[in-house]
Amino acid sequence: MSEIALSVNNLVVEFPTDSGPLRAVDRVSFELERGTIMGLIGESGCGKSTVAFALLNSVPTPGQIVSGQVDYPGVGDLLKMSDEAQRLFRWQHVAVVFQASQNTLNPLRRIDEQIRELATAHRMRDPKALLERADSLCRRLRLDSRRVLHAYPHQLSGGMKQRVGIMLALLLQPDILVFDEPTTALDGLSQESVLQIIREIHDEEGLTGIFITHDLGIVSEVADTVAVMYAGRMVERASSHTIFSGPKHPYSQALMNALPRLSGDPHLARGLRGSPPKVIGDQFKCLFRDRCEYRMEVCDQSEPQLIQVAGEDAQVACFLHGKEVERVSV
Amino acid sequence: MNTLRRFGVALIMIWMVVTLTFFMIRLMPGNPIFDAYQTLLQQGVPSQQALVQIHILYDVYPNQSVVVQYLLYMWHLLHGNFGTSVVYTGRPVLPIILAAAPWTLLLVSIGLTISFFIGLLLGVLIALHRNTWFDNLMSQLASIFHGIPNYITGFVFLYFFTVILNWFPFGNIYNPAIHPGFSYGFVASVAYHSVLPIAAYVFGAFGTWTLSTKSAAMAVLGDDFTMADRIRGLTSEQQLEHLVHNSVLPLFTGFVLSLGIMFGGAVFIEETFSIPGLGYLVATSTAQRDYPVMQGVFLVLAGAVIVANFLADTLYSRIDPRIRV
Amino acid sequence: MVISAPADTPRRRAPSSGVVGIFLSRPMRVVGLIILVLYLFMAILGPVVFPPSVALVANPAKIYQGPTWADPLGTDFQGVSVLAEIVLGARGVLMVGVGAAFLIVIIGVGMGLMAGFTGGFVDAVLMRITDVFIAIPQFPLLLLVATILNASSPWLIILMLSLTSWGGLARAVRSLTLSLRERDFVEAARGLRLGTRLITTRVILPNMLSYVAMNFMVSITGAIYAEVGLLFLGITPFTPDNWGVMLHEADGVSGALYTSSSILYVLSPMIAILLLQAGIIFVLGALDEVFNPRLRTGATR
Repeated sequence: MSEIALSVNNLVVEFPTDSGPLRAVDRVSFELERGTIMGLIGESGCGKSTVAFALLNSVPTPGQIVSGQVDYPGVGDLLKMSDEAQRLFRWQHVAVVFQASQNTLNPLRRIDEQIRELATAHRMRDPKALLERADSLCRRLRLDSRRVLHAYPHQLSGGMKQRVGIMLALLLQPDILVFDEPTTALDGLSQESVLQIIREIHDEEGLTGIFITHDLGIVSEVADTVAVMYAGRMVERASSHTIFSGPKHPYSQALMNALPRLSGDPHLARGLRGSPPKVIGDQFKCLFRDRCEYRMEVCDQSEPQLIQVAGEDAQVACFLHGKEVERVSV
Repeated sequence: MNTLRRFGVALIMIWMVVTLTFFMIRLMPGNPIFDAYQTLLQQGVPSQQALVQIHILYDVYPNQSVVVQYLLYMWHLLHGNFGTSVVYTGRPVLPIILAAAPWTLLLVSIGLTISFFIGLLLGVLIALHRNTWFDNLMSQLASIFHGIPNYITGFVFLYFFTVILNWFPFGNIYNPAIHPGFSYGFVASVAYHSVLPIAAYVFGAFGTWTLSTKSAAMAVLGDDFTMADRIRGLTSEQQLEHLVHNSVLPLFTGFVLSLGIMFGGAVFIEETFSIPGLGYLVATSTAQRDYPVMQGVFLVLAGAVIVANFLADTLYSRIDPRIRV
Repeated sequence: MVISAPADTPRRRAPSSGVVGIFLSRPMRVVGLIILVLYLFMAILGPVVFPPSVALVANPAKIYQGPTWADPLGTDFQGVSVLAEIVLGARGVLMVGVGAAFLIVIIGVGMGLMAGFTGGFVDAVLMRITDVFIAIPQFPLLLLVATILNASSPWLIILMLSLTSWGGLARAVRSLTLSLRERDFVEAARGLRLGTRLITTRVILPNMLSYVAMNFMVSITGAIYAEVGLLFLGITPFTPDNWGVMLHEADGVSGALYTSSSILYVLSPMIAILLLQAGIIFVLGALDEVFNPRLRTGATR
């Protein structure tokens, strides 16, 4: 067993609404091994980004982490740390590469000024050292560092901005990188170059990370393990190889079927009808049942838990796989 | 180049305002100059003498064509000649205006600055405490104060602090017993007399700034970089700095414009507190039908707005890197 | 301190459904509505309750009296009941306010629509004219025009007020029109060759109705302030029963500013104006929700 970099236990995140608290993330547990990338996939609104925010205890208001642990071995449970300790933890231990369409850079500061601010915020005595590191990272990311560092964000193209985002994320040498749909808003060419950079860094340094996307093609390229989320729950976890060769959960299967393939009949690609439900309060049934082609009586009566599939490196929350397995988590 | 173009537009606007006011006064029913001429004729003054008198009073001949009068007026204006006062016979208008302007500038700039900073503070605080009792209370208060005409705030202040409490002097901008000059006594007297009018400005204007700051700050808080700043572990002070800097930019244009507009809004407060500024001059010259003075002050007030507009456009491109070319 | 994105979901005390629900969801809105209805009653029924020939007669025996059952707001420097003056003043003030707001909306929307939809040379000319009207300081211009015209009729005051204050609305309507013009449904209407008149009145105008309605309400308060202000300065000739005249007399002839026993007389017209303002603001929030269903559900982005 290799070293664990992050272990999330029974995480619950809720957003207050008119009709009661909305469960954006419901009892999610997983572990991340050092040196591996975990793909986190699901439709938009399934809670995958909220999980990412929760890893930094930065769920956007009015959302709230209601219960659970976010444990970083060697550091402890982030949720129990003081505010100041949490602030210093962010970006030093876990950094995020944001979605490219988001303007995550202050429009009124040059890039080098923003790097200086990071140095001040993280109590570094010598901001020059950080700028030098930024300079060498830029070169590695094939950015013209002299131009980029003195530029305002609006003077950079989308692809450049995204590479600046990766540079900033790597700047403080974090243990874990969270990629929040980093390629979604990019054109094909920039997408490929960003993916290549991520793969390079992963190969050279053994990156530990979580890669959030709804693009299964990308996940298959970069991820070692894959977790599938549906309506705030984790419905399947497996190694990348296992899940792509044979998804267990009907939802994972539907996601794979929706993926058009280069080889084979494109008409076989099928979209998934309907949309995931918004969950308010406890549910005692399977949340996917309305869209599931294998719906059984039991699906209306109790909620499937994430359990180990016998003989395979996979966990699934579905009654179809109930008999031949033993329970692992709650 | 852009600046030059804006400057041209500003000049054209000033010319249009000058022309508009000129013809408005000359062509509207009840042309004051013609009325005065008629009155003189009715009083039995021979028409030739009446013409001369009118010429001395208004610097025009009533039987001249309007176009000739207009060209003459423009010619004088270009030479800094705003005409002479009718009420204070023979006194040129320009010095009268120049004597009044500093008081207005003093009160407006101080009042505006104070209300801007109060509004900035409150607006940012409201945005940070969205949907709390503080937000509900302060937003409602700000919208009510936003609409209060400043003659009401001025009047209430005057009544309570001078009539009832007797804390502050009644009217004027300095104690007439003190000789004007840069002496301690004079400056102190001006400061003492300015407290109430400035407070009246502030109460009339801070609501507007609070509301605009609030909506600007809310927009910034919804921006992705605000979320990213937090995740990057920036300190609260750094985050606040980013918030304020980004919220102030959209307010800047309004701030500079207000400097121009508030010159005209000074009428009520100066009238209430009897401060010899431009607004007071507008009100008194209007009441006395002193047309040359009215017209002159009016041009200065409109000019202030146009100049402020020009300044706002020109300066904004210097403080926002996104506009810079 | 935590600096974070604002919550998009304002929590409501009761699920709001329909116009009634929107008003009931916040008590202040009901208060605002009650205030406005009260003013409407004052404007309509005022002269019935306080016949001016009786109520406004000076009574030297009752100068600056405190509140009594007969005169709940006390009396003024002539011994006239302040309450009667306030109630009787409502009609003139409201009429000028609503009338001017109506004209402002017509001129502003007309100019803005025409400029925005026609574009080109017409747009350039109309907008330059608008710029001049915006640049001219409104109140001094009002003073100038009021003096020249020696305006006493309320209709003339309405005309003056609206002529001096339509600029801002015209600008806003023009930019709204420009943005609406690019939308699909307007493109579609143009593709059908529906004609400018039809497109502007049937397609574009309904889409900015909420903005125009809100602006109408705000213009009412603006016009009332300007009107009362003119009377306060004593520029326009007296109409005997108006809050502005009360303020003018309080400031000048009555000597109210030299005695504190006049406090009710001095404060009453101001409070009358402020209450009206508060009523309009409270109702405005509800109107905003009626017109923008997006605000109602409070959906997250």
